[in-house]
Amino acid sequence: MCCNENFEERNKGEKITTTLDLTEISGMNFFDPHVHMTSRTTDDYQAMADAGIVALIEPAFWLGQPRTGIDSFIDYYSSLIGWERFRSSQFGIKHYCTIGLNSREANNEKLAEQVMEILPSFIFKEGVVGIGEIGFDDQTAAEEKYYRLQLELAKEAGLPVQIHTPHRDKKKGTQRSMDIAIEHGLDPKMIIVDHNNEETVKEVLDRGFWAAFTIYPFTKMGNERMVEVVKQYGPERIMINSAADWGISDPLAIPKTAVLMKRSGISLADIELVTYRNAISAFAQSGQIDEHDFIKIKDIDQSQKFASNSILRGGQQPRIDKNSIIIS
Amino acid sequence: MILAELTHLKKLSDVFLQILERNLSTTALTWLQQKIALVVAEEKSVQLHLCFSHLPRIASKGKIDLLDEEAFRISELMPGFMINDWTLDKLSRIWMLMQLPSDHKENYVKKINSLFATAEMNEQIALYAALPLYHYPEEWITRCEEGIRSNIGTVLEAIMYHNPYPAKFLSQPAWNQLVLKAFFTEKDVHLIVGLNERVNEALKATLGDYIKERLAANRTVAPEIYQLTQQTKP
Repeated sequence: MCCNENFEERNKGEKITTTLDLTEISGMNFFDPHVHMTSRTTDDYQAMADAGIVALIEPAFWLGQPRTGIDSFIDYYSSLIGWERFRSSQFGIKHYCTIGLNSREANNEKLAEQVMEILPSFIFKEGVVGIGEIGFDDQTAAEEKYYRLQLELAKEAGLPVQIHTPHRDKKKGTQRSMDIAIEHGLDPKMIIVDHNNEETVKEVLDRGFWAAFTIYPFTKMGNERMVEVVKQYGPERIMINSAADWGISDPLAIPKTAVLMKRSGISLADIELVTYRNAISAFAQSGQIDEHDFIKIKDIDQSQKFASNSILRGGQQPRIDKNSIIIS
Repeated sequence: MILAELTHLKKLSDVFLQILERNLSTTALTWLQQKIALVVAEEKSVQLHLCFSHLPRIASKGKIDLLDEEAFRISELMPGFMINDWTLDKLSRIWMLMQLPSDHKENYVKKINSLFATAEMNEQIALYAALPLYHYPEEWITRCEEGIRSNIGTVLEAIMYHNPYPAKFLSQPAWNQLVLKAFFTEKDVHLIVGLNERVNEALKATLGDYIKERLAANRTVAPEIYQLTQQTKP
């Protein structure tokens, strides 16, 4: 989540007319374990599918402004397992989600109480691969209270936890998040600590947690820094994501970083772990990820074409030529 | 007004069970029957929600194996209704819904509506496909109309394809919306139960306008639209 609202500076400078070339990694499959598709367009879905992203996880988060009633939460969670899942399938991308009360809105205690009551109706749904994203923002007492309650819920349900670590006072916030999880008796291998940086990664790995890195311009990790992290720590229990949302962010962060890693001499096997396999290993502990579905979701639309015409089942999106000035 | 006698619903449920017995593993079938005992016994909807959500983890998501005589028996008991391309988890879910006690109307309707309120994509598909099997059929008219407003293609298909509920219970304006939506979303209209039987002047007029609109935009017109409006292709 960003951002600085300096549009004059942003719009200054020359417009970019070059195109992105990802041929170096063509044929590779990627898994983005943190991306907020609700905030993205169909162009992004198309670009992601073209770049090799076969599946993704959409964590429940803050929508940019606070919700004022429980029904808004119900509708949001329903959209993650309904409409957004379908939208994604139209581009052949398998959509999973994590469900939880985000740290910012945990501070509205009256509403947070109601959210805790409805969470059990959603966490056992098909394709819900964890409780997330939860944790600290301001590190208030209310945030801690609902973080703890949701850790208990995850333990009871046997689901992985996706932890959002704070932007401000990150190092202490990350340590505190891990301490509390251990205190509640959760196994570090069930916990994905997200938004790491050079300052937090060592302790997260040393204590046995999964370390996720968000490649996000300006406010989180740049991918050149990411390459150095992988070189230093190796690929074990490390995964990257885009956390693309309504801010200036990049849903192609994973394939772009894969290109950079390849150019930097990191082995293909290690790239696969960091951009695909580790995320699956971590979140498949929910029992909700079957890799065959990544292929099936593409096949279904193709094989279910009706014999006599080109009608696609469920309405897969036809491709449009974005560079044509003709819109028909 | 009813689609099927209650005795027919009971017989359909028996056919479904027969199919499930052949398709489900022993463990899965036992699990399902134990859960249903809990669902039937409870006043609230906790077990119902848990069982409904959990079913795909127990039953496979593969297509059911259906014998010809079973398909025939189903079409006898409920003309137009077909389950040939259903998956095993879908059939299990719907069979479970058919076991819900229906004596207390208010409670029955409330329970099923609560499933709709938090349904994920595949759950929605199962809930809408089961429309002709619920008790108190008039209670689901608004729900069916709501479903036709969905943007999720597979949900629309659950209502439109091989489902005899809409033709039987929707008002003329709602029925016409269903048909128009089917053409707009390029559905296979041959699979709509009652398409020809429920054609009416208002629908013909709207489809006539639609033909002109498509032609003016240099777009193609589905041949079925000409058939329904009894117009010849220019």
